[in-house]
Amino acid sequence: MSLKKFSELFGDLDSINSTNNKIEVLKNYFLSNDPIDNSWAIYLLTGKSNKRFISGRYLKNLFSQIYEYPQWLIDTCYLKVGDSAEVISLLLKNKTNSRKKKLSNISLNELLSETIPALSKLNEEEKNLEIKNIWETLPEDNHLVFNKILTGTFRVGVSIGLITKSISKLFNIEQEIISHRLMGDFKPSIDSYEFLINKNINLQELNSKPFPFLLANTIEDKIFKNSINDFQFEWKYDGIRMQLIKRSGNVSLWTRGQELVNESFPELVEKMSHIKDDFVLDGELLVWNFKEQIAFDFSLLQKRINRKSPTRSIQIKYPIIFIAYDLLEINGRDIREIKLENRRIELEKYFSKWQIKTENNISDIFKICDLIFPKDWPDALTYKEKSRENNTEGLIIKKKTSIYSSGRKKGIWWKYKVDPMQLDAVLIYAKGGSGRRAGLYTDYSFALWKDKELIKFASAYSGLTNIEIKELDKWIRKNTIEKFGPVRSLKPEMVFEISFEKIQISKRHKSGIAVRFPRITKWRKDKKINDADSLENAYELIKKYHEKYHEK
Amino acid sequence: MRTKKEYLIRYKDGNLYCELADIWIDPSKPVKKALITHAHFDHFTFGCEEYISTKETAILLKERVGDNIKIKTFEYGEEFKINGINISFHPSGHILGSSQIRFIFAEEKWLISGDFKLQKDQTCKQYEIVKTDYLISECTFGLPIFKWDESNKIANDISKWITNSPEKTSLLFCYSLGKAQRLLNEISQTNFKGNIYSHGSIHKMNNSYRKLGIDIKDTIKIENKKKIDELKGSLILLPPSLSKGSYLKNFKNIQTAFASGWMSIRALRKRSGYDKGFAISDHADWDGILEVVKKSEAKNVFFHHGDSEALSKYLLEKESINVLLFSK
Ligand SMILES: [Zn+2]
Ligand SMILES: [Zn+2]
Repeated sequence: MSLKKFSELFGDLDSINSTNNKIEVLKNYFLSNDPIDNSWAIYLLTGKSNKRFISGRYLKNLFSQIYEYPQWLIDTCYLKVGDSAEVISLLLKNKTNSRKKKLSNISLNELLSETIPALSKLNEEEKNLEIKNIWETLPEDNHLVFNKILTGTFRVGVSIGLITKSISKLFNIEQEIISHRLMGDFKPSIDSYEFLINKNINLQELNSKPFPFLLANTIEDKIFKNSINDFQFEWKYDGIRMQLIKRSGNVSLWTRGQELVNESFPELVEKMSHIKDDFVLDGELLVWNFKEQIAFDFSLLQKRINRKSPTRSIQIKYPIIFIAYDLLEINGRDIREIKLENRRIELEKYFSKWQIKTENNISDIFKICDLIFPKDWPDALTYKEKSRENNTEGLIIKKKTSIYSSGRKKGIWWKYKVDPMQLDAVLIYAKGGSGRRAGLYTDYSFALWKDKELIKFASAYSGLTNIEIKELDKWIRKNTIEKFGPVRSLKPEMVFEISFEKIQISKRHKSGIAVRFPRITKWRKDKKINDADSLENAYELIKKYHEKYHEK
Repeated sequence: MRTKKEYLIRYKDGNLYCELADIWIDPSKPVKKALITHAHFDHFTFGCEEYISTKETAILLKERVGDNIKIKTFEYGEEFKINGINISFHPSGHILGSSQIRFIFAEEKWLISGDFKLQKDQTCKQYEIVKTDYLISECTFGLPIFKWDESNKIANDISKWITNSPEKTSLLFCYSLGKAQRLLNEISQTNFKGNIYSHGSIHKMNNSYRKLGIDIKDTIKIENKKKIDELKGSLILLPPSLSKGSYLKNFKNIQTAFASGWMSIRALRKRSGYDKGFAISDHADWDGILEVVKKSEAKNVFFHHGDSEALSKYLLEKESINVLLFSK
């Protein structure tokens, strides 16, 4: 019933790997704490507490000022730790030996509803004094959580799904109901907690429940032995997989991660509510380029996902579309047991009906996926290779006779992803990582040859194993030419295979090209820097995949 | 002013060397004469013609590498002479037998700290403050974010960690010489009363400690084919080298932890791949290093074994102590 208990929970969740054990720990926590603290705990654990009361920089300055610590020393420590809240909590261990005990058992509720909000009403001098006072009265193992809440950086390695699952198991209420209740403006209070765990489920909650998603497996060779006519082919879009549900007039948008995201996409909810039928659709949400009729990059979609109640101008800037793949329920009738090819007929039938019969125009936000009809498997391969042109990731292949079961069921749906493009490049800069990669050089920049010069063309930080990262880190420290702040320029010596999803001309980059999702796929210790690729090779790739760029 | 070349002890080929006595300290390659501060493998190499160490270090070394090395031993505090230089070993509190080494020549004192800690450790002699003119100190944990908890607190945390998961086998990874024995000593004083197993390499070191008169709790040597039920709720001490690879497949339903000073940083804990980290170290923390620098009364300080940039700048700004750099 206290910050102390919550700090323990934080430590436990941090050091347990198994999902089941995490759920056990969460259940025990909710069982042994009172409703008001539980509601705050849920608020924190589900990441709703991102309000920043003071900045990490402010926190570091304050510590430096109070305890007469040189700022540069705190900065050096920060490079090692990678998190302001944690650096200060570690440094505080040296400083707060005199325990006053007053706050030592402060409840989460008091801390979050009184102590911390009260800080913003104080002038700077009073505020600093008060933070010092809290630091010196809190037990030292509570400092980390306190500092994280203060700086709005509280995160813990559990998904919202895991939190809802724990509550669901503990109180024997379906997980989707808990998700639904946690949606939106969850204000921590005894009432909101009682509502959350109320066993009486109202009709609207029941009606919003999605079906378990059916997922595709990676392509297997044996599929090519079958007749091409046994399968339905669709583009594999790179968006958010979603079930769009309309029941009893209410629309709900569910992601695969059990998240209800109505608030991020209000224009879709509004439009779909005009359709007269009730239905459950399985599909993909994308930010759509209506002019070219292709999807925009996933990065644009990211601008919408985390933004609740987007303004009208955001909605126009990042226009979304829902592309339906499948129809799972129609006017209360669950049709998942019907064969895919027949569900597709239903989907097409209803879609054309809705287009004609709905008063508002729905086709500017909703369509059904186009099917592809390769004549044989080599032709399918050609389609797959073309997927870069329409910004998809490849093909989804579905058995026409399959029913809509749940999970990653074998032998009915496959993804056939396009191979990444690759270039061998030379490592020229490295930068220190943050968070769990703090203290190591983990952000790298790579260059290609242009005549006798190496020109930077991409940065990447993922793809190496932990062992390789450590090995490379050692090498970097020994082969630094120059340091600029956290960045080091390096002796050109190491060659890496860099893979990416897309390559195009870009005036903003010195190299004149931009790549998407660059990542390291191989440390080419077998190659010398003269074996690395040149910008010429990169332009050839562009030519190969974007003929149109060069026609102009 | 002397120039760097004239220092009594300097860096040569990456190792500490005293030219006047033609003797190396913890050399990493074979030499004629080597002073060994302690029996950790990163302070010792095969193939030297002659080794000189404390009695305990010599015994531990022979346990680890066999009898056929030529090694001369001295008691703590006992002075011996090489080429007119008085040399003596002094306890460094790191592990059993570990020592600082003092050189006195022409009234000039030099002290090599070796690996050291100030924290209490019932399995070895407490660090002894030695006054010196020149100090060569390790600085493995030379940042103020490192502040060790009392070791009994860590031992209680370990005890809780095991007893909170009675259905699991708890694997605690730690260095087999020193850290393992210190942990065993501390854990035997907690509420954890279950079985403790240890890996062969650790078991062997436990026995050596006992032979040298240190009271180490009895552990069961872990056999590869133990029944899984028997191991439930018990603690197994293993060397970190076994944490990767197939060895762990011998066990079912395990939780793992690593005992090391680095585990005080969350990012390193997460990256380590262990479920849990216990921040306990046989090296000095920031305060420990500062205390030794001050109490040694050294006018000239060198650091090695760690990143000394921040520590040096701090000493200069706050204590007006000038830290020197070896030319390598
Ligand atoms: Zn050592
Ligand atoms: Zn060492």
